[in-house]
Amino acid sequence: MAFGLTFFVLFVALWSWATFGGHVSKTFLANPLTMVQEGYDLLAKQGFLFDIGMTIWRVVGGFALAAIIAVPLGVLMGAYKPVEAFLEPFVSFARYLPASAFIPLLILWAGIGELQKLLVIFIGSVFQVILMVAVTVGATRRDLVEAAYTLGAKDRGIIRRVLLPSSAPEIAEILRLVLGWAWTYVIVAELIGSSSGIGHMITDSQALLNTGQIIFGIIVIGLIGLVSDFLFKAFNAWLFPWKLA
Amino acid sequence: MTILKIEQVSRTFPARHGNAPTRALEPTDLTIGNNDFVTILGPSGCGKSTLLRIVAGLDRPTGGRVTLDGREVTGPGADRGMVFQSYTLFPWLTVRENIAFGLRERGVSEQDRNKIADAFIRQVGLSGFENHWPKQLSGGMQQRTAIARALANDPKILLLDEPFGALDNQTRALMQEMLLGIWERDQKTVLFVTHDIEEAIFLGSRVVVMSARPGRIKAEINVDLPHPRSYKIKTTPEFVQLKERLVEEIRTEALKVAEHA
Repeated sequence: MAFGLTFFVLFVALWSWATFGGHVSKTFLANPLTMVQEGYDLLAKQGFLFDIGMTIWRVVGGFALAAIIAVPLGVLMGAYKPVEAFLEPFVSFARYLPASAFIPLLILWAGIGELQKLLVIFIGSVFQVILMVAVTVGATRRDLVEAAYTLGAKDRGIIRRVLLPSSAPEIAEILRLVLGWAWTYVIVAELIGSSSGIGHMITDSQALLNTGQIIFGIIVIGLIGLVSDFLFKAFNAWLFPWKLA
Repeated sequence: MTILKIEQVSRTFPARHGNAPTRALEPTDLTIGNNDFVTILGPSGCGKSTLLRIVAGLDRPTGGRVTLDGREVTGPGADRGMVFQSYTLFPWLTVRENIAFGLRERGVSEQDRNKIADAFIRQVGLSGFENHWPKQLSGGMQQRTAIARALANDPKILLLDEPFGALDNQTRALMQEMLLGIWERDQKTVLFVTHDIEEAIFLGSRVVVMSARPGRIKAEINVDLPHPRSYKIKTTPEFVQLKERLVEEIRTEALKVAEHA
C-alpha cells in the first residue's frame, strides 16, 4: 500500500518540477496548485458536483441497462449451443463497432438528451458483456454439470442451480471490468452535444485554455473509477464468500 | 433378484484426425442383483469407466442396452447415484447444501432435506462440518460428502468411478471401511470401478475383471469372504490367495497395454 502510494508522490513531484520549474508553458499544463484552486473553484462556485452527479448517473444507467439485457443473453448463449450459433457471429461483429462512432447517428435518432448518452454507454458495453458472459458460462466445469444430472437435475435446474452460481463470480468480475470501459465512453459522449457532465466541463475548459480544470476533471474521473472499483470488489467478496474461503 | 442388466453394450469412439475409430468397449454382458456389491477391476484404458458412464446415462452405447429394474436407460437420472474420481462437490454450496442438492431438485421441503442431509452427515462422520465449503475440506472429506450426496437421493444403484483414486493410502483404507460399513448396514446395490486389486477384493462380493484394448469382461470371481469385513481380513490366507490370482489376471492385461503403447 505504502509502496503503491510512492508512485503517486513521484508522479506529482515530476509534474511540479515540469510546471513550477518553468519547463512547460502554463498555457499547456497547469501546475498542481493551480489545479487544486481551479478544482475548488469548480466545486464551490460553478456547481461541478451537479456535473459529476450527471456523469455518474449516465454511466450507471447505461451500464445497468446493458447488464440487464446482456447477462441473460450471455447465459443463454453459454448454455445452449443453437442460441450461440445463432447470435455469436453477429455479437462478435457488433463488438468491434466503436461506440463513439455511433454518436452522430444517435444524436440524429435520440437527440442530445439523456437517452442518447445512455445509448452510447449501452452500445459500448452490451456486446462485450454478452460475449464474455457466454464464454464464462460455456466454460463451466463439465463434471459439475454431469454430477448435477446424476442427482436428478433437469435442464432448468442445471442453468439455475449449476451454471449460474458457478459463473456468478466471473460474471461479477466481467461487469466490474466493463464498467471501467463505460467510463471512457461517457466522457466521449459528453464531449459532443452536451450541456452537463464532466466531459462537458472539460470541453468548456478547453475553449478557455483552462488546463487546471481539465486536469482536475480527469483526476476526478480517475478517483470515481477507483472508488467504484473498490466498492465492486468489496461487494463481490461479500456476495461470494465460498470463492475466498 | 436382478436389478441392473447390461446386454451386449459396446462403445466405439468415432475416428478423429484420420485415426481409426477407437473400440473402447466390446459387446459386454453383466447382470447385477439387488444389494450386490460388484467391483469392476481393470488396467487404465480398459473401458471400465466408459461402461460405468453408460450405466449412469452420461454416455450412450454404440450398441446394446442397459436396463434398470426393467426400464431402459436413456439418460442420467436420480435413480443412479454417481461418485466421480474428480472432486465434483458444488463449490458454492456448503456440505449440507451439497448433500441436499438432489432432494432440492425433487422439491423436498427445506426442513425435510436438512433432516435427511444431517443424518447422512453423521453417517459419513462429518458432524461439525455441515456449514463448511468444499474448499475448506480435505480430499477424503470431499469424497465422503460426495458419497453422502449420492446416497441422500436414495438411488436404486450407487455407481462409483475410482472414488478413492486420488487419496493417500491411509485415507483410502479408512474410506473403504466406511463405504463397506454403510453397505453392510443399509444394503445397497453398488457398482464400483477401480484399478486397485486389494480394493476390489476387500469391497466386492464379486470382482469383474476387464481386459484392455478392446475392453471386455475377462473373468468374474466371487469373493466369499465373510461380512462384516475389517481391514484385518487383508492379511488372511483366503484374501492373499484371491489377490495372487487377480494379480496374474491383471498383469497379463497391463503387459498388453504396455506393448501397444
